[in-house]
Amino acid sequence: MTGGDQDILLDCEAVSCTLATSRGPLALLKDVTFRLGRRTALGIVGESGAGKSMLIKGIMGLTPSDITVAGRIGLDGEDMVAMPEARKRALLGRKVGMVFQNPMTSLNPFVRVGRQIDEASRLHLRLGKAEARARAIALLSQVGIPDPQECYAEYPHRFSGGMKQRIMIATALACEPELLIADEATTALDVTVQKDILDLLQALQGQRRMSMILVTHNLAVVASRTDELLVLYGGRVVEYGPTERVFAAPRHRYTEALLSAVPRMDEPAHTRLRTIPGRPPDPQDRPAGCPFAARCPAAEERCRQEMPGMTLDADGRHGFACFVPVPAPGPGATAARAEATS
Amino acid sequence: MTARSQDIKAQDLEAASALPAPATARLRWPRLKGFEWFAFGFVALLIAAAVLVDVIPGLARPNFPYGDFSQPPEWSLNGLLGTDPLGRSILSRVLHGARTTLGIVAVATAIALAIGMTAGMLAGFYRGPVERAVDLYANTMASLPPILVILALIAVVGNSVLTMMLALGILDIGVYARIAKGGVIAQNDRDYVLAARAMGASDARILAREILPNLVPALTAIVPPLVAGLIITEGSLSFLGYGIPPPAPSWGGMIASSTDLLSRFPLLVVGPILAIVLTVYSLNTIGDSLARRLNDRNRNL
Ligand SMILES: Nc1ncnc2c1ncn2[C@@H]1O[C@H](COP(=O)(O)OP(=O)(O)O)[C@@H](O)[C@H]1O
Ligand code: SF4
Ligand SMILES: [Mg+2]
Repeated sequence: MTGGDQDILLDCEAVSCTLATSRGPLALLKDVTFRLGRRTALGIVGESGAGKSMLIKGIMGLTPSDITVAGRIGLDGEDMVAMPEARKRALLGRKVGMVFQNPMTSLNPFVRVGRQIDEASRLHLRLGKAEARARAIALLSQVGIPDPQECYAEYPHRFSGGMKQRIMIATALACEPELLIADEATTALDVTVQKDILDLLQALQGQRRMSMILVTHNLAVVASRTDELLVLYGGRVVEYGPTERVFAAPRHRYTEALLSAVPRMDEPAHTRLRTIPGRPPDPQDRPAGCPFAARCPAAEERCRQEMPGMTLDADGRHGFACFVPVPAPGPGATAARAEATS
Repeated sequence: MTARSQDIKAQDLEAASALPAPATARLRWPRLKGFEWFAFGFVALLIAAAVLVDVIPGLARPNFPYGDFSQPPEWSLNGLLGTDPLGRSILSRVLHGARTTLGIVAVATAIALAIGMTAGMLAGFYRGPVERAVDLYANTMASLPPILVILALIAVVGNSVLTMMLALGILDIGVYARIAKGGVIAQNDRDYVLAARAMGASDARILAREILPNLVPALTAIVPPLVAGLIITEGSLSFLGYGIPPPAPSWGGMIASSTDLLSRFPLLVVGPILAIVLTVYSLNTIGDSLARRLNDRNRNL
């Protein structure tokens, strides 16, 4: 992952999203830096309002017009921020596919399922009608639709939430993207269906050798399904690193609190993160210092004054922005962990 | 234990709702009431008659003095609605009038729909100055009496079938634009529009492929009543002598030419009036019926 640039698919550097308001600019997302390797799964975790969706919209260039994106978002070496619209449109859907939170609303109710899947492959790959249809039906069967031929000709309202999300996944995969982004893709679904969809996403990521970003407020979702983890709080990255390492030895106080709020990490636990006392700060009155200071049991005076910088651990793969980090376990323990994961 | 049974239930539901429902459920015509049958039937017949009027066997030419003047209705094809003061078949003239009127109104509606929908969709999508321009046009047209607008236009460019088509079309552009605009605004923030963007779709593609399909039902329901309105306007103009120039038959013109004789031959006016009243009634009924269908479907979606 830390290898040559060839292995990096997505390279975000100091990405900020700023909302223009009548009272001046308001930072919704600040200084987000991370890299995503090819064939790697990344989990982005944080409470509601942390800026997860904003980050995804920034990456996709889908931010509303009153929000400016700054920084560098390198997708396969091309900077999405500075890129002309037409080039961006050529990459969206082609190189990056996206699954949204609510399948009830993200499929067009008046357009047949088949056409919604064909759309991208006909647009980007210039496939003919028959070819696109064959591809769409194959995709529908891959995502576990029982009768793909029939589904192809139907309108979406005929299907349940879980089935709709499978259809949505098929649309995102229509051009065989190198990166699949799922923003809270299971949050709106019935509890029993959530695990099926997550398993499907994980399986597809492996089969198709693509990268994946799983965005969620639920740590349990990413526990066994991602290689890397990025924890967002108050519009900032507070901790990142290999998932196993962060789970085994969180260093940021917020991550620690999140983890202790999840009763079991190897299964979807459906536990809201709100079990941490207090609420995250509004973008309007985020403190000057650490955004977590108001809720942090270990907060010191300077936490409130200045923003902690990112501290990297020995091999530079695990970083956290905290003045009073959770003490690291003995070096032996971390090394053993790392060995077990690789 | 309850959790378990809930799980099973949810799975069953998932499986059950994924099954295709009876094949025609979506397209099935809702039960039509008697008067709705009449409305659809009448308009279908009228359109058929207007298209085929030249080849109806035995029907006299509209300007051919086929019998005695001002005869009451009798049991024959040409005499079904009686004859006018020149001995022409009123039925033939009503049907030829239908061809003229429906033709003009159809072209006018096509013009209004094409321009109005395009302008309205752009206004709803881009807002800003485009929206203000469209609103200004729609509000201005809505606040002027339609007859005045048309008379002014005729005064400038002269009276012809083409003028009538354009003038009537201009009247409805604003109405269609407003409806299209509202429909687009309601969809701008929908997730499927965002999803289309995430697939790399351009603005034009999103408008045509994602937003337009959702506008069609609402626009379809509003077309029949607006067409009815145009028929009334066209009839009023012809009645005032500014419509299609005689001797071409038109409903309004027929009513106008029989008013002098109304006290002696009241039956003269029945044919064209019946034609206008039944057509307008039927179109409005069809509009209501389509709107009801639309509501039912929206509730099911
Ligand atoms: N279009 C927008 N305009 C203004 N503020 C926004 C907009 N979208 C999101 N925000 C704000 O940005 C913050 C992050 O939102 P979001 O990225 O949606 O959070 P989440 O992590 O739950 O996905 C929130 O405080 C939200 O109110
Ligand atoms: S920087 Fe200070 S306030 Fe923030 S998490 Fe660390 S200890 Fe808590
Ligand atoms: Mg979100």
